Amino acid sequence: MTASRPAAPARLAVPLLALAAWLIAGPAAAADYTAAGGSTLGFRGEAQGEPFDGRFQRFDARIRFDPAALGTARFEVEIPLESADSQNAERDDTMKGDDFFAVGAHPLARYEASAFRDLGGGRFAADGQLTLRGTTRPVVLEFTWTAGAQPVLEGQATLDRTAFGVGGGDWADPGTIAHEVRVSTRLVLAPATP
Amino acid sequence: MSTPPIRDRWGRVHQLLHWGIAAMILGLAAVGLWMTGMPNSMDKLQVYALHKSFGITVLALVLLRLGWRLAAGRPPALPGPAWQTRLASAMHGLLYLLMLAMPLSGWLYNSASNFPLRWFGVVTLPALSGPSPELKAIAGAVHEWGFWLLALLVAVHAGAALKHHLVDRDATLARMLPRALFPPPKDDAR
Repeated sequence: MTASRPAAPARLAVPLLALAAWLIAGPAAAADYTAAGGSTLGFRGEAQGEPFDGRFQRFDARIRFDPAALGTARFEVEIPLESADSQNAERDDTMKGDDFFAVGAHPLARYEASAFRDLGGGRFAADGQLTLRGTTRPVVLEFTWTAGAQPVLEGQATLDRTAFGVGGGDWADPGTIAHEVRVSTRLVLAPATP
Repeated sequence: MSTPPIRDRWGRVHQLLHWGIAAMILGLAAVGLWMTGMPNSMDKLQVYALHKSFGITVLALVLLRLGWRLAAGRPPALPGPAWQTRLASAMHGLLYLLMLAMPLSGWLYNSASNFPLRWFGVVTLPALSGPSPELKAIAGAVHEWGFWLLALLVAVHAGAALKHHLVDRDATLARMLPRALFPPPKDDAR
């Protein structure tokens, strides 16, 4: 038996690899959940006096949340802006263009939150930071949390597009395109695979 | 007689609708040809919004005109070869058809493209369809080819009116114009 035991360096390899993997994966490994199929991230804007709805076809959400341990909670969401879709080719092209999202220069939007409040009645607030078009601003996401094997997070946030330089110049006229954009999300969460 | 018999001349309402719609169609055509090449901007949004609003106005006026024509009747056709009368009727039928098809295809194109439609920013009109790339392509093609067909028919229509007026010297054109503005040719003052 002893003869078949691996040599010391080989015995160290497994924990070392695990350590390396942990170091590389970093905070990601700290997430408890990721968004599973059926999750949505949408937005509602208003142009020429009419509301319109869009959604991001792709996004990556890493969620650590326990209603009983808000101190350790953390949200990290990455959104490829190229995946924005309001079912209107002309509007989507404009939205992704230089005057709005400028996806060429800033392909990703990022939302990070590590400060949370219990609003009571099953509602919570994340005091997070949204980085969009190279600008970072605080954005509060209010949400409900439904516990379960696949917890469900449903939340809304309201932001001012001009705070991020989305639609400047002539486009900043609020009569044509409202400044306020409502973001809503429904995340069906699956345990993260380490 | 200071006024001709009503049956000889198109009524004031019909004349007003005829020339008002004609002016709007010319404006819509010019703006429509120009606006598609505009760079993406607020101005482009506004110009498109105006094109849509005037187009819907034409749709309403054409329906009003057809209703008026049914209610008030039309003056009898001027004497001429039967084939010419039939051809003119077919031509006018096609013109009416296209004057309806153009705004309707534009409206459908707008709906299938998932744009809202507000008439001069005042009245919100319902969408004719949900977002649909297939319908958008069809409606867009109808709108574009319909335009070229309409342009051709309008040119023939105007050419025929001028031919009647200048060559045949009959009342075809004059009876679509106010008597005061345009002295009637001889054979209208019977």
